[in-house]
Amino acid sequence: MGFILTFLARRLAQGLLIILVVSFAIFALVRMAPGDPARTILGGMASDELVEATAKEMGLRDPILVQYGRYLTGLLQGDLGNSYIKTESGGAAMANQDQGVSSRASVTTLIANTLPYTLQLAGLALLLTLVISIPIGIAGGVHAGRWQDKFAVYLSSIFVSLPNFWFAIVLALVVTARLGWIPSIGYQNFAYTILPAIVIAVEMSPIFIRSLSVSVADTLRQTFVEVAAVRGLGPRKILYGHVLRNAAVPILNLFGVQVGALLGGVLIVEYIFDYPGIGLLTVQAVTQRDFPVIQGVAILSSAIFVVVNILVDLAAARIDPRLES
Amino acid sequence: MASEVLAGSTTIPVKRPIGPTRRLWATAWKRPEFKVGLIIFVILIGLALIFPLVTELSPVKISVKDKFLPPFFMEGGSLAHPLGTDQLGRDLFIRSLIGLQNALLISFSTVILMFIIGTTIGLVSGYKGGWVDTILMRLTDAQLSIPLIILAIVILTITRPTPLAVILVLALASWPAYARVTRSVALTERRREYVRGAKILGASDLRIMLMLVAPNILPPIAFVAILDVARMMIFEAILGFIGIGVQPPTPTFGTIISDGRKYLINAWWIATMPGAFLFLSLLSLNLMGASLERARNMLLRGTI
Repeated sequence: MGFILTFLARRLAQGLLIILVVSFAIFALVRMAPGDPARTILGGMASDELVEATAKEMGLRDPILVQYGRYLTGLLQGDLGNSYIKTESGGAAMANQDQGVSSRASVTTLIANTLPYTLQLAGLALLLTLVISIPIGIAGGVHAGRWQDKFAVYLSSIFVSLPNFWFAIVLALVVTARLGWIPSIGYQNFAYTILPAIVIAVEMSPIFIRSLSVSVADTLRQTFVEVAAVRGLGPRKILYGHVLRNAAVPILNLFGVQVGALLGGVLIVEYIFDYPGIGLLTVQAVTQRDFPVIQGVAILSSAIFVVVNILVDLAAARIDPRLES
Repeated sequence: MASEVLAGSTTIPVKRPIGPTRRLWATAWKRPEFKVGLIIFVILIGLALIFPLVTELSPVKISVKDKFLPPFFMEGGSLAHPLGTDQLGRDLFIRSLIGLQNALLISFSTVILMFIIGTTIGLVSGYKGGWVDTILMRLTDAQLSIPLIILAIVILTITRPTPLAVILVLALASWPAYARVTRSVALTERRREYVRGAKILGASDLRIMLMLVAPNILPPIAFVAILDVARMMIFEAILGFIGIGVQPPTPTFGTIISDGRKYLINAWWIATMPGAFLFLSLLSLNLMGASLERARNMLLRGTI
């Protein structure tokens, strides 16, 4: 138990450091953007005096470190600042309406409203990824050099070559528009999650298939597998009891590294399917130059990455106790 | 290896065995998927380089009377425009070829650049160790924690998306993988006898690090580089698709597909045909990469 606690403390400290570095880098980058945020909020019609007054009110004229300090204080309280564009009601504010800064939606609220949809999509995508890659990857590893192995290689090469945004368009065109099998574009019920999840699963599975078949094939060559056969264990028992247990750790680690790719895939796919999650929020923020939202999403995704990787390490240590030392 | 270190002072005549790099390529070449990939790739490259020079078709010239022509296999299509034309009557085949040229140019430059950045940082980190290593590796961790696409979006919304900016952003966003691999190789190599020997002989740190790069680091990441060229082509297309890649009128896969998406119901080929072209190019690179990866695994296991 003592090990787990020191481990957690160390990893949390490292994770906080990472989030600190990322948040400062993103904060500094966003401040380098051309254009005055106060002008973006008030629109082109507002007078220079009003823009200046608003900028002072928002603290935009303070030194950057002071601004960052204020941002960090807010971050600790779960406040990611306010959107430049969106209002509390969810719609986009008319740029030239004379609305105060206070009526802008908080980025935390915007993210909290969209996060459940994204989690649902990411969860289903992950499930599909495992459903695709576990049987194909294991078969490829067990029958190395045979047709199962070749099938795994060709299938993952094809999957990895499908650009996600193009594949999403083709699926929406064929499955939804032409055949009418599965609804997509927008969100009305759970069925709208299926096509986007398929696209992400196709994007993610090649690396899992490859890694799984390599580690299964490697484990099968180990002496303890031969010993298990001598001990009289059947092939099924060897596969499930020994081989898969050993192959699980690399797969878990791989998952930790791939979280970033998963989030990136979600972003593009949500945009194409008009799926109301964080990805759509981000792409809209990009087209509207709504920097507080982009900044919040970047920090959130790095926090998710850190947390998932700590969980992955904990789980890996449970599966393989040798990793504790 | 030892003979190379001493090459300056004495020459020892040794019969060199076939090196690991040669064995790697020879093994990959024996795999059918490598040949399939190479053949597709050579055909596509040849088309992309030669066809634009000999054809009358222009990738940017607008011809309203030819708009929305379907591809050759559909009714009303012809071989004059094999993949059909877009909403402005521009030929999609020639636009895809120019798009491929741009995509290859950008992705190859990106991979070379991130290879240089990544291996340099990884080498310094692994070879120097200590606080340099700690700082560089924490930076790598921080960078790995932001999805590439989000980082690219942040930077490209702020700066003007010129081809050079796209290359820089993609390279800056993906060097950490190279840094990690290089660092782990450098960590094991720096304890080897030949490195200590070279130090005693007075070789500088720079010279030793360069000596490490060529033989020990190139083969394990050759396949990563090929797979990354394909990955960068996808990212370049994604950036173009969401409007922060190389800007029109330069044809890129991303902008062509994004334009065509508006006409998906009535003229589905505008968005899908260039995408199929992109898919084929990526497939050729990924098939070669997969067989190189396989060969590398066999090399590590000592079976070739």
